[in-house]
Amino acid sequence: MSFLGEVAAWFGDPASWAGSNSIPLRAWEHVALSAASLAVAAAIALPVGLFIGHTNRGARIAIAIANIGRAVPSVGWLGIALPITLALFERGGLGFLPAFVALVALGIPPIVTNTYAGLREVDADLLEAGRGMGMRELQLLGRVEVPIAMPVIMAGVRSSAVTIVATATLAALVGGGTLGDFILQGLYVNDHPRIFGAAVLVALLALLTELAFGFLQRRSISPGLRSVTDSGPLPG
Amino acid sequence: MRTNRMLALGAVLLALTISACTPGGGSTSPSASASASAAKPTVTVGSAGFDESALVAEIYAQALEAHGYTVNRKLQLGERPVVQAALAANQVNLVPEYLGGLASSLGATISSDAQATFDAMQVKLAAKGLVALNYSPGTDADGFVVRQETATTLNLATMSDLAKVADQLVWGLAPGCPDNPVCGPGLKSTYGIDISKLQVESLPACSGQMAQSLNSSAIDVAQVCTTQPDIQTFNFVLLKDDKGLQPAQNIAPVARKDLLDAAPDDFEATLNAVSAKLTTAELTKLNVEVSVNQVSLADAAHQWLTDNGLI
Repeated sequence: MSFLGEVAAWFGDPASWAGSNSIPLRAWEHVALSAASLAVAAAIALPVGLFIGHTNRGARIAIAIANIGRAVPSVGWLGIALPITLALFERGGLGFLPAFVALVALGIPPIVTNTYAGLREVDADLLEAGRGMGMRELQLLGRVEVPIAMPVIMAGVRSSAVTIVATATLAALVGGGTLGDFILQGLYVNDHPRIFGAAVLVALLALLTELAFGFLQRRSISPGLRSVTDSGPLPG
Repeated sequence: MRTNRMLALGAVLLALTISACTPGGGSTSPSASASASAAKPTVTVGSAGFDESALVAEIYAQALEAHGYTVNRKLQLGERPVVQAALAANQVNLVPEYLGGLASSLGATISSDAQATFDAMQVKLAAKGLVALNYSPGTDADGFVVRQETATTLNLATMSDLAKVADQLVWGLAPGCPDNPVCGPGLKSTYGIDISKLQVESLPACSGQMAQSLNSSAIDVAQVCTTQPDIQTFNFVLLKDDKGLQPAQNIAPVARKDLLDAAPDDFEATLNAVSAKLTTAELTKLNVEVSVNQVSLADAAHQWLTDNGLI
């Protein structure tokens, strides 16, 4: 049988779709881990990005710290996190937790940097006008800066999401299952079609994530701004 | 097993590179020049691309040097296909090999019986102009370990002992264990351990994560490689494979027949003396030296040969 035929056979095997080692279960583990990691990464990164973007204070140091998440390889994060989670939770420290730590660390930097960059790009005249209208700082942030910066912020979230989905594969190294488990299985029993099939699934999931967040990113353009771009520049 | 077959392709490419870089072929081959200079032929030792293999190769090299042989080293060549290609091309003429691994790659029948595996392998090797010398008592196969306290409390020494309490323990098993004949199916048919009824965490076999998880009590039984340094580092108890589930992975020197023919008797005797001392515990100790204590291959090999009175 050809290689692709064997890959198709793996997808077609009913055993791949049922039980404790099924594609749906592994895909669910993958999505759940990725979603939780992205949510927490965003919950940490957005406030930081908004603060440094609005005030332009501590930006350099905050971005430098956030970038540690990128500088340390994800496998390194797993290696750092696993002994700690094991010491704290024994069996509960296997799988989800260390992978979660690694993915949150990986997911933070793009969101912090994009949020900061998005806010800094907002035209100073608009802020001046807002202040002139008597807007408080938080109103300025919520009604002027964030709506204008939204597409850039969402681009950061999208980039973070795609990276997380692709990297969640590594969770299998610490007992976290995910689609990466199929890759380890394939390596262990010398089943290359299974490795390939799993890699295709991960790529597909990353692509779906990319498309979904790309859609959100386009939708996040404030209606006011959209009409401006649609009808060309405002008449002088 | 620690071999990563995904690297095989890269290994083959490496082999091609090596052969492309070697000028002339036959005229530069070690045994050809050696038989001309009579008495002791020049030996070129090769090894697979991981520490244990390189270490044993280095031990062969130093033992032979102590007996007056000129030895060249081409260690860490890559995966088995590369090493075998190098042997076939006479770019190396002596390598350490694992019985089960080599035998199965040659299409010979393998089992937990080292002698039977060795004999089956020897027949296949002869067809390639290769000869295996005596194998070591030590074996680097898959195995199962428990913490010292678990072994004491539950009175565990063998896999049969473990089978009786299997369902009380959390097992760390390799992903893919249910599909590996010597893992899931083998545990069931040989020991009556049905892994589908156990509490299982899926972790890479022979990995540091597996060892850490066992040490911190996240799991109670860990699937390891029998010469893995962590066994010594964490003082785990390796359970005896008393019913012979794992194929024999003892280590034997594999040499080109033309080298053996050209060499005097002390060649075989020297390597056989080395193999006789390479027990599983000694191999583990050597791996600890190299991968934990960061001792160089040459120093670790020298120390071991001295300690065992071989040089």
